[in-house]
Amino acid sequence: MAFFRKRQENAQASSFNPDADPYAVLENVGLEMTGHQVLQDISLKLSERRIGIVGLNGSGKSSLIRLLNGLRLPTSGDVRVFGADTKTVQRDLPRYVGFVFQNPDHQAIFPTVEEEIAFGLTQLGASKTEAVSGARVFLERHGCAHLGPKPFADLSEGQKQLICILAVLVMKPKLLVLDEPMSSLDGLATRRIQNLIAALDQRIIMISHDLSLLTSYDRVLWMEGGRLRMDGSPQDVLPAYEADISARADIPVDGDAF
Amino acid sequence: MNDRTLVQIAFYAALTAALGLLPKLAIPVAGGVPVTAQTLGIMLAGVMLGPVRGALAILLFLFLVALGAPLLAGGRGGLGVFQSPGAGFILAWPIGAFVAGLIMQKTASWRVLPAAALAATVGGIGVVYLFGIPGLAYLADMSLAKAATGSAVFIPGDAIKVVVAAVVAETVARGLPRALLSRS
Amino acid sequence: MISLYLPGASWCHRLPARLKLILLAVVSMAVFPVQDFWILSALLALTLLAYSSLGKGGLQQVKALRPMGAMLAIIFLLHAVTGDWREGVVTIERLTALILLANLVTITTRMDDMMEAVMPLFAPLSWLGLSPRKPALAVTLVLRFAPVLLSVYSSLREAYQSRSGKRTSWRLMGPFMLQALAMADNVAEALTARGGAEGFGARDTSVLPVRN
Repeated sequence: MAFFRKRQENAQASSFNPDADPYAVLENVGLEMTGHQVLQDISLKLSERRIGIVGLNGSGKSSLIRLLNGLRLPTSGDVRVFGADTKTVQRDLPRYVGFVFQNPDHQAIFPTVEEEIAFGLTQLGASKTEAVSGARVFLERHGCAHLGPKPFADLSEGQKQLICILAVLVMKPKLLVLDEPMSSLDGLATRRIQNLIAALDQRIIMISHDLSLLTSYDRVLWMEGGRLRMDGSPQDVLPAYEADISARADIPVDGDAF
Repeated sequence: MNDRTLVQIAFYAALTAALGLLPKLAIPVAGGVPVTAQTLGIMLAGVMLGPVRGALAILLFLFLVALGAPLLAGGRGGLGVFQSPGAGFILAWPIGAFVAGLIMQKTASWRVLPAAALAATVGGIGVVYLFGIPGLAYLADMSLAKAATGSAVFIPGDAIKVVVAAVVAETVARGLPRALLSRS
Repeated sequence: MISLYLPGASWCHRLPARLKLILLAVVSMAVFPVQDFWILSALLALTLLAYSSLGKGGLQQVKALRPMGAMLAIIFLLHAVTGDWREGVVTIERLTALILLANLVTITTRMDDMMEAVMPLFAPLSWLGLSPRKPALAVTLVLRFAPVLLSVYSSLREAYQSRSGKRTSWRLMGPFMLQALAMADNVAEALTARGGAEGFGARDTSVLPVRN
């Protein structure tokens, strides 16, 4: 049984094309969760190297990027990532699409930094000893060798997010999806993580409430109420989004508006 | 077994460990017998996860104890625990969690509070003493009656834990229904 | 990692973990029916000798008995009051020797090695289509969750105290579970996001091994 399943998965994995352009295609995508329409009518072709996503809380940003890593499957329409339908390759997607969570404490699975990094390598078939030595080499390469034996809980916020990003990068994904990775960081840590991300070869899709982080991006998507409200260059989208927020903030409201 | 199930099993094993480590949760009961919250973990694992997953969570906890983690109340752990006079009680825990989970499933038409109270009583007290007392009698070379008398001091504390387990199950059923895996 | 392991390099540390486990099982089964005071005394003396041979602090490790002291005392009293005190002595001797022998294996074997020694027991999981990796992963998850649970509880207690003045209450257990379960869900999602508990089927030669 297990043998059969594994072979089947490999056959499906082979339908990935890491050079597909566009690398992600969404067609009439809808997502319903617990009777609630979280996303509707989304059609997109993504081929830019740096894509930012903006929108208010609850606008569907997080759900949208979860579709790309297979954490959610669309309830209607199709999502194709690197040429493969996410419904059939769900389990193999994390190999190509790395996902960085908003809160590093939610992402870390293991007690120590070294184990956290090594996990990615064992996922790719490394033995335990290979993975541990590989993790050490990788941490050293990124100037973090001294953090290896530390308990994850003892790190600073910036270090935690750094380790979370490295834990994903060690698997060499082709696309890195980040869900507000800077929201818990101070100014300095934000800049450092920003520089780290900017220097990566990987394609990047990042959600951010800090619009200044997205000004150099190739494309920005603006989500509202589960739909795509605007799609274009940061020079067009970011000022429009900001103007919309300012206009709405000054209208007197009741608690429902929050 | 999917990722969420594995994480849930590990979660209740960790909860049982944490309950043994929380000094604040120790209840002073008549007779001065120190009662820890650890068996609350057994009851909750069964009530919340259902029979198989509940029993696996407690087996996982005991596996860690056997490996040498000092997770039993009072910082006990290691293989010595399984040779101690109380080994019967400890080995009955996974069975207790299993029975509690089974009762939750069989009483699926009941409200959560009474069902969880019944499950925790039968699984967390009934089954545990059913195996624990003969175990104690055997390991300590004494009569069943004597072993039962020696164990009875813990019953009031266990009764309090039944109430807590039932209230917690009810709270979770209202606040996060999908976490009550024994009913889904 | 929290563990009862006593770092050292004594003869007992060097014995393979699996051999120690098998020896413990054999000795335990052999000793169980023994009722003779002298044989048990000799066994106890040998056990203590083994502890002292561990080097500095070895004999101190007999402290593992302390949490069981009350229970052992009650058992002895029950024997003494209602029967033969000599029977009580023999029972306590046997229990003490067995507990100490088992504890000897625990304190001289690293948790990793113990895990490695019992891994073959999990091999049958693969017949069911489950990965034998799962028990090891589950163990790591428990060790990661336990301290997080304690910190969730303490921050909840603080919030409770700030508005009630009382230090703690059993009523916190419900809200505690809700918060802790939400945290567990996040970890489950993080695990799935990185390929799940089973990992990917094939070995990825483009990434492994990692070299500088």
